[in-house]
Amino acid sequence: MTLHLSIAAAALSSAAIAETTELRSLGEPVSPDQIQTGEALYAENCTSCHGENREGQPNWRRRLETGRMPAPPQDGTGHTYTHSDADLFAMTKFGIGAVVPGYESDMPAFEGVLADPEIPAILAFLKANWPEGKRRYQAALPSMTPLPDG
Amino acid sequence: MTISMTDGISRRTFLGAATGAWIVGSARPLFATTTLRTGALAFAGGTVHAAGYSLLRSEDGGATWRESIGPDRRLTALTVHPERPDRVIAALEGGGLAVSEYGGESWRKAGTGLPGATIDALATAAQQADTLYAAIAGDGLWRSEDAGESWEFVMDRPFLAEAERDVLSLAAVDLASGMGGIWLYAGTTAGLQRLPDCFCRWQDVQPGNALDALIEGGEAPEMAPLPAGEPVEEPVRALVSPAVAPGALYAALSSGIWTTTDAGVVWRKVNTLDAIALAVDPSDPLALVAATENGLTYSRDGGET
Ligand code: HEC
Repeated sequence: MTLHLSIAAAALSSAAIAETTELRSLGEPVSPDQIQTGEALYAENCTSCHGENREGQPNWRRRLETGRMPAPPQDGTGHTYTHSDADLFAMTKFGIGAVVPGYESDMPAFEGVLADPEIPAILAFLKANWPEGKRRYQAALPSMTPLPDG
Repeated sequence: MTISMTDGISRRTFLGAATGAWIVGSARPLFATTTLRTGALAFAGGTVHAAGYSLLRSEDGGATWRESIGPDRRLTALTVHPERPDRVIAALEGGGLAVSEYGGESWRKAGTGLPGATIDALATAAQQADTLYAAIAGDGLWRSEDAGESWEFVMDRPFLAEAERDVLSLAAVDLASGMGGIWLYAGTTAGLQRLPDCFCRWQDVQPGNALDALIEGGEAPEMAPLPAGEPVEEPVRALVSPAVAPGALYAALSSGIWTTTDAGVVWRKVNTLDAIALAVDPSDPLALVAATENGLTYSRDGGET
């Protein structure tokens, strides 16, 4: 129960953020609807690794036994905000190797699982819940230009 | 035979009375001193620091040296404040740090929060002199944002050729990572890695922006990487980058000193010097000091002679 409540509260406050700030996802203005869609998609596809509250796996800076890195938080305490939307999109659709060629990780590629417009919706939800300072940091990245077509 | 970095250093005699020498290029020895057994070199402004059982300091390109008695243990790594040549941060064999504000005349212990294992490499952030990085054997990378007083764990060790690898050498390279910061370059027991200072992930040096290449189907330029441990393991014992030319790096391997001018895409072997430690003048990319088993060499042409 409390869980649902807190999610509803998060959705409310992030919707408020979308309305009051110029939050964009992949260059497009973000709508409260999109954030809600993103939240549902996140819950369905991402929580198992990145956490119910986007807190990441425990001890996420230390490698697993396999040598791979755990899933980092996406609540603004990790390093997701240091990646441009284009990179976040590419990592979600194709896996981390799309941005760092040859990189081995447990992050699955969601190509074929999520439709292209669903990814910016998830990113919009994540970004809407980052602290203001992290949102601004990410918006100022040199690579924050809209994706070319395709 | 491969010996680990730490063993390699401790078995070498550095600036020993018999063999010790301060050499300009390959010229005759100019300087000899008592046994120092160096672990590290650093350039602060025009001052060269050489650390081992004590700290030696030269302000005239090695013509004369002042020796100060170090803390009670051998020094394994050094970093210096870019604008305050008297501020020296040194790693102590067995673990921990000591800081001197007076070029080694007196020391205070630092390093709250660090595990008690030897620090193999220390580096100062390129634009933030109070931000330091320490690579700890068997552990990972730590960061201090208060000039070495307190530390936090920021990144596990790189995973290369099926194993976690110790970082033996570390250089903050003032080139944009595209992630709002710059790159840290690390020499490991099995080749070179780099890491954006967001500590997102260890990676190989990539020519250009990988994502652009993916989207545009562009082809990557030819690479000539540093030897990465195959067929013989060649630990990257030292790695330095001059502040005025961040695309330039020197690396010390058992096969010799290697250099790059394009941030690590193409590497070239400059000489076959078996160097243990390196330092480059922050304002002169060609002024390179190297410590070998036999002493120190000073090159004015990037290690060519
Ligand atoms: C099977 C576990 C798993 C699932 C499910 C998963 N991820 Fe990940 N994700 C990871 C791991 C592990 C990493 C870290 C990879 C690395 O850096 O080595 C990661 C990293 C990322 C990154 C890079 C973040 C950063 O800070 O660098 C993004 C973006 C990301 N995931 C998005 C998503 C999204 C969006 C979903 C849901 C659609 C999702 N992930 C689902 C495991 C997972």
